[in-house]
Amino acid sequence: MSTSSSPRSARQILFALLLLAGNTVYASQILQMSRPFATGEPGPSFLPSLLCGFVYVAVVCILGAELRKPAAAAEGSDHVPRVGLLGPVLAIALTAGFILGFFYVGYLPAAFVYTALIAGCFNFEENGKLRRAALIGVATGLCVTLFGWLFFVQLFDLYLPLWEF
Amino acid sequence: MAAQIVDGFLMLLHPVTFLYLIGGFLLGLLFGAIPGLTATLAIALLLPFTFSMDVADALVMVAGIYMAGLYAGSITGITLNIPGAPSGAITTVDGHALMKRGEGAQALGMSAFASTIGGLTGVVILIALAKPVSSVALLFQTPDKFSLVLLAIVTVTIVSQGSLLKSATAMAIGLMIATVGIDPMLPEGRFDFGSYNLIEGVNLLPAVIGLFAVCELIAQAGMPARLSQAQAVADLPAPRRRDFLPSRARIREVGLFAMLRSSVLGVLIGMLPGGGASMASFIAYAEAKRSAKKPEEFGKGSYEGLSASEAANNGVCGGAIIPLLTMGIPGDAVTAIIFGVLLLHGLVPGPTLLSDNFMVVSPMFAALFVASLLIFVSVLLFGPVYLRLSRINRGVLYAFIGMISMVGVYASTFSIFQMWVALAIGVLAMLLRVCGYPVVPALMGVILGPYFEEFLRRSLIVSKGDPSIFVTSPISLVLLLLTLGFIWMLRIGPARKAKAGA
Repeated sequence: MSTSSSPRSARQILFALLLLAGNTVYASQILQMSRPFATGEPGPSFLPSLLCGFVYVAVVCILGAELRKPAAAAEGSDHVPRVGLLGPVLAIALTAGFILGFFYVGYLPAAFVYTALIAGCFNFEENGKLRRAALIGVATGLCVTLFGWLFFVQLFDLYLPLWEF
Repeated sequence: MAAQIVDGFLMLLHPVTFLYLIGGFLLGLLFGAIPGLTATLAIALLLPFTFSMDVADALVMVAGIYMAGLYAGSITGITLNIPGAPSGAITTVDGHALMKRGEGAQALGMSAFASTIGGLTGVVILIALAKPVSSVALLFQTPDKFSLVLLAIVTVTIVSQGSLLKSATAMAIGLMIATVGIDPMLPEGRFDFGSYNLIEGVNLLPAVIGLFAVCELIAQAGMPARLSQAQAVADLPAPRRRDFLPSRARIREVGLFAMLRSSVLGVLIGMLPGGGASMASFIAYAEAKRSAKKPEEFGKGSYEGLSASEAANNGVCGGAIIPLLTMGIPGDAVTAIIFGVLLLHGLVPGPTLLSDNFMVVSPMFAALFVASLLIFVSVLLFGPVYLRLSRINRGVLYAFIGMISMVGVYASTFSIFQMWVALAIGVLAMLLRVCGYPVVPALMGVILGPYFEEFLRRSLIVSKGDPSIFVTSPISLVLLLLTLGFIWMLRIGPARKAKAGA
């Protein structure tokens, strides 16, 4: 997955449109505030208005520039097709699942499942062997979860939710 | 005063005091290097334990954490492309590029060497010029502070690689994120969509975790293993300890004077309230690029860039303590907690502290000096361990980073909502990266946004809306001219040269 300034692709244009949409949501909140110099002073909407205006202009310029670029090629994996899309989606879903699990079932089960799945997925992508990936995942899950508990709870006496319903 | 400083060093010879220094240093290394954990958190966690400690021991330990924490942010930045602390963000750019080039050992060695130079410079200035220099810092008025923050924002934007427009947009996004929550000057919420969670705004820690750790996890999940840098590093022969010693030729290439200049810049910025290590490293990096022998290498693996940012962020350590001890003004979160440590022991930071209780404070000065030297020793001792960070199984590594980062957010905020914020910012950062928008300006926008807005609005309130206040103050005018100078030298000048050459 390229991280540098890349050639044009549908995602470049989609992201620019996403920024425009997000900026419009931001602008809708500015409209609910008093105008910047309504009281003679630069109020809470002063800087947001400037930023919002700037982002509109900048993103429109970026969109124009992107549309003039050539199209890009995609990257594949040896064992997982379309890993460039599937991997990030899975990582986001697992992290979201961890936060939910952390809140509802506590640190220990949530951290174990999360770290085991993350480690398992990375290893499966690397060697394509499901059994080996699962074993590494379970071992990683146990070790990392135990380390986190020792580090946060035992060493620094911090509170972590532990199996609370 | 010289005799008291010597006494401070002699106190470190006491085994218990020295152990506190080593313990603090190792804690700072650990917290600084782990993404999501910071030296600030380490010192905050230590605060309750200082009750039972001798005040000199407490200050020595805090000094060890502070110095090591500022340095350690670059370790995971260089090896894994995830800065352990915001101050390591700009080091990451060149450091990780060097790592990918197979020069990880030299990058870590040079980073430690520059940090040591920065730390030592900061302490020497702290000892020698504490009172007079902090008086100069106090001359900065609100418009001057605004111009300083503007200088940082502009330089961060223009030194980023790639499209200037995308870099500026990323900065604007960071500034927008910083506007969420309670208005810095009026008791009213902004962009909270009626949610009480959003009223508290986006904390710095979830933002840093999201922009770097979560973003890196997501990015790595989408990268086939054969393309990851871990394999390239694994193919290299195992480094020996002496590989971490920067060669004389390399030190000459970077220049000791350049490192000292960056260190002094770090000290000066550290003295300003709100200055901080991040701002110092960014400004020193921009200044180093302006005067570099090979400015075109900046961002692609430049030792000059790496050294400048590292020297400056450790120089901040000595600088930030000057206004704290002499005027009772903490400039950042760490010095604010040191303020608390002093108060807990009945010492009031301010002009009388150095005259009445210098003996209590002098071991801390000595500890900062020794901790600066320990930075270089630490890379020789632990350098091979740092490099192995990139050789360990990717699955194990990113499972660990994912867990420790998200739980680190919870441990420092006790808010599930802030964990969601970290994830959301991570997804945004990933999209920014994929589409060629640099992430570092967004981070600086989040960090500097509150100061930028507050100083801007305060200045305009004072001037009744007249923006000429920024050019009528001499310090502000100089800073604005410096900003224009940076824009000319780093963007317009090279662009005109390129156009003329085409």
